[in-house]
Amino acid sequence: MKKVMMGNHAVSWGVKLARTEVIAAYPITPQTQVVEALSEMCSSGELAARFIKVESEHSAMAACIGASATGARAFTATSSQGLALMHEVLHWAGGGRLPIVMANVNRALAPAWNVWTDQNDSLSQRDTGWIQLYCESNQEVLDTTIQAFKLAEAVDLPVMVVLDAFYLSHTSEPVDIPDQEAVDAFLPRRVARVKMDVNDPRSFGALATPAVYMEMRLRQQEAMELARVTYDEIVEEWGGMFGRRNGAIESYHAEGAEILLVTSGTITSTSRHVVNELRARGEKVGLVKVKMFRPFPTEALRVALAGVPHVAVLDRNISPGHGGIFAEEIRSALYDLAPERRPRVHGYIVGLGGRDVTPAVIEDCLARTRAAAGAGNTPEREDLWVGVKS
Amino acid sequence: MPEKRPDSEMVHGVPEVAVSSTTTMANRTGSWKYTRPVFQDMVAPCNATCAIGVDIEGTMNLVREGRLVEARELLLRENPMPATTGRICDHPCESSCNRKSFDQPVAVHSVERMLGDLALEDPLPAAVVRIRTGKAAVIGSGPAGLACAYHLVRMGYEVSVFEGDEEPGGTLRYRVPEFQLPRVVLDREIERMRALGVDIRCGVRLGRQLTWKYLERFDTVFLATGAHRSRALGVEGENLPGIQYGLDFLHEVGAGRAPEIGARVVVVGGDSVALDCARTALRLGAEVQLVFWGECEKLAADPAEVLEAEREGVEILYQTVPLAIRGSEQMAEEGAREPANTISAGISGAPTGMPMGLECIRMTLEKPDGYGGDPIPAEDGRQVLSAQTVIIAMGEEPDFDLLPLDLKHDQVRVAVDELGRTSKSAVFAGGGIVEEPHTIAHALGSGKRAAIGMDLYMRERAGEKVEAPSLAGLRYGRVGNFSITRYRGDDPVRRTGEVNEVAGVERINMAHFAPMPRRVERRMKPSDREGFEEVNLGLTQKEAVAEATRCFNCGTCNQCEMCLIFCPDVAITRREGDKKFSISYKYCKGCGVCAVECPRGAISMTREGL
Repeated sequence: MKKVMMGNHAVSWGVKLARTEVIAAYPITPQTQVVEALSEMCSSGELAARFIKVESEHSAMAACIGASATGARAFTATSSQGLALMHEVLHWAGGGRLPIVMANVNRALAPAWNVWTDQNDSLSQRDTGWIQLYCESNQEVLDTTIQAFKLAEAVDLPVMVVLDAFYLSHTSEPVDIPDQEAVDAFLPRRVARVKMDVNDPRSFGALATPAVYMEMRLRQQEAMELARVTYDEIVEEWGGMFGRRNGAIESYHAEGAEILLVTSGTITSTSRHVVNELRARGEKVGLVKVKMFRPFPTEALRVALAGVPHVAVLDRNISPGHGGIFAEEIRSALYDLAPERRPRVHGYIVGLGGRDVTPAVIEDCLARTRAAAGAGNTPEREDLWVGVKS
Repeated sequence: MPEKRPDSEMVHGVPEVAVSSTTTMANRTGSWKYTRPVFQDMVAPCNATCAIGVDIEGTMNLVREGRLVEARELLLRENPMPATTGRICDHPCESSCNRKSFDQPVAVHSVERMLGDLALEDPLPAAVVRIRTGKAAVIGSGPAGLACAYHLVRMGYEVSVFEGDEEPGGTLRYRVPEFQLPRVVLDREIERMRALGVDIRCGVRLGRQLTWKYLERFDTVFLATGAHRSRALGVEGENLPGIQYGLDFLHEVGAGRAPEIGARVVVVGGDSVALDCARTALRLGAEVQLVFWGECEKLAADPAEVLEAEREGVEILYQTVPLAIRGSEQMAEEGAREPANTISAGISGAPTGMPMGLECIRMTLEKPDGYGGDPIPAEDGRQVLSAQTVIIAMGEEPDFDLLPLDLKHDQVRVAVDELGRTSKSAVFAGGGIVEEPHTIAHALGSGKRAAIGMDLYMRERAGEKVEAPSLAGLRYGRVGNFSITRYRGDDPVRRTGEVNEVAGVERINMAHFAPMPRRVERRMKPSDREGFEEVNLGLTQKEAVAEATRCFNCGTCNQCEMCLIFCPDVAITRREGDKKFSISYKYCKGCGVCAVECPRGAISMTREGL
């Protein structure tokens, strides 16, 4: 069944189809409609979940942690300042190996106050032990939400599904809603391997001395590695059932490219348009979309980018004092390639605080890349700000 | 039992999830605490405001659990006539109900009425065995006298009630109209008291058939002669024929004699007596106007009853002050309209009523658009209401003429203490002749207090060494009435760590309740109301039980298990035997979550080590 819906409601539908059991959330623009729709689904009875009203995002995540520890399938959604407030408990979910799914609507952090999209909120939570998946369309949002539960429960790690504020959250697109029966076959009820039992009380998050702490972190890291492989399998399974495959990365017109754009989120769709135009003019330009940020698809990116002379990474984020976060991670991933196969990485900072990233902005990035390539120079600096007033 | 947790696989010598390998029971977190929760049942505001001293909260809880027999036994401990009070008590319990801050107060009276009516269907009880040697006389069989006699008989005394009227009940029979309290209900409740052993002798009026000399053969006397002398209106023309006083009028109707009234009746007054006179006159076939000097909300009667009176056709003239009553001659002189034909009312059949009129003036506020200002006569506010009968209901006062001369009173009230003791040894008093609001609840309550006082007096007189009880401890809260249950010390509601403090609305955690509208009783349609059939049809048993589920059970644990669910240390457990809860202080770390989450404030936090 196809339905026209905004990205926020695509999340809600995914959560409903996943037969989520506990939802705890606190409203924040631009996430509000996600939980608004879910609360209506709960009150009408079409979703048999316990909806917990909470007084903050910190409590929302704490409630999800409690629910997940008892073996329930738990979900929350937030954005920006809300996600920042959750920071401490995000570690408890990650370190506690709890398969919670959260939707984060990418919104810039204050100050200055801003409700529009950029990725600094989710990328600030890079090291909390959460898997992060960035979506490009409302269809991908719905599909990824359901897949996220399967992935989380397979590896016992929490998953953050990320979507751009307004470009996805509030924009309506036709979305194909999978049948409940098919989703049930894809995603059976959660069977927790470890769960809280009041009749056999144990301490969760118990003290671990230096003699064992490191090994526990190692196991978390191994789970992240497993998540890479598992996600590929999940994408395959989903593709087999529903015909849509959105992998950890996706190459688009990458064959024989001299410059490859690397993008995430909705900038990808604009970039596809630019690539189409340029390819029509015979220019050797392609695109690699990065969906999975944690665990980082290092090996897949090495394969996709090796031998390409120039890579232009578009970052809708900034690590102040360093550069675009995707660009830095990609540079690091490619460093081990043999020098003759190692691309030159050009990092561009674009679209912060919801500024439009138009085809002209992307073409500007490409023109700068071409100019630097022609001169045979390395980029003058690691972060090149495009579309800013001089 | 949930499935046993599978042990997680060990890799790198550690488990996957940071869960302790041993039980947390080894960690006695109780040693951390500096505050300690205790189950401490408090007094619900309804109990503390009930002038009878009924354990309303306990009753509601039993009804909620479907234990209706126990509920009415609990009710009958304190209140000898719940079917009556369920109908006509002004239920202050509902005004103090904490639920009013949430949606609407619990309809306590409807539940009480249901229980009272159930008790009416019971076979009559056996007489109480006389285990006490004392003999008590009760003068007056109104609610105060009946309550006193009832409680004394249940304590094992011999009691004789002397009633001046032909039948027992006092104001319940001769003041409350039958359309509010059917006589079958009253009769059955009195019959039950008689079956228990209350001896009631009617037609014996103090000062006439009954002398003080005769009363000397009793060990103690309870005076409950009531207040039935009507106050005068104090206007010109009050001595004209065709003028009646409210209490006399209602008394006649209550006695089954239809008083003679005209086709047009004007009632003057501002309380429930005035309202009942108007509605009674209406039922006798008259056209009725009620003249009241104040605004609608100042009328001292149940607003629901005011509404019913208006729906039935009583025209209420608010803010109207009577000035004088004019006789027919004066009326003719002034060219007033001749009133309609007189009617023959009720049984007597005699044509009655002199045409006359009540001259009055409509008041208005000094500043009609602004706030405040005094009432002033309205321009063109003067009018003459024509009628054949004017009923004056200006309030009532006791008649002291028949009381012993050495009994201390101030012409308005007999002075009594908490236990109903008068200035005269062995003589107790209650009801309408003491300083209390004239309600059925206060009357029943004062009779109970005096019964306790008389019990103490007679036991002492019989040579028993009586330890005076703490009177404050007998009250629900600080100002509630005495509880017989507390006096006897045999509460069937097993409360935990009871404290005599009222659980105010601040102790209620309303997050645990869902709005549920108060159930409204069915009433007979105004068009169907003929004669003196009961207007209020009450709730069905099912509805009343559902209404009782609205009760918050303020201050008293009703085993809702919220504490058990919320305790983060699993330190609260439910006992096998009495099903109540235990707190393991070995593990309770004093976080206070249970006390905050308790929906009804039955858990208090105390300082640890004190």
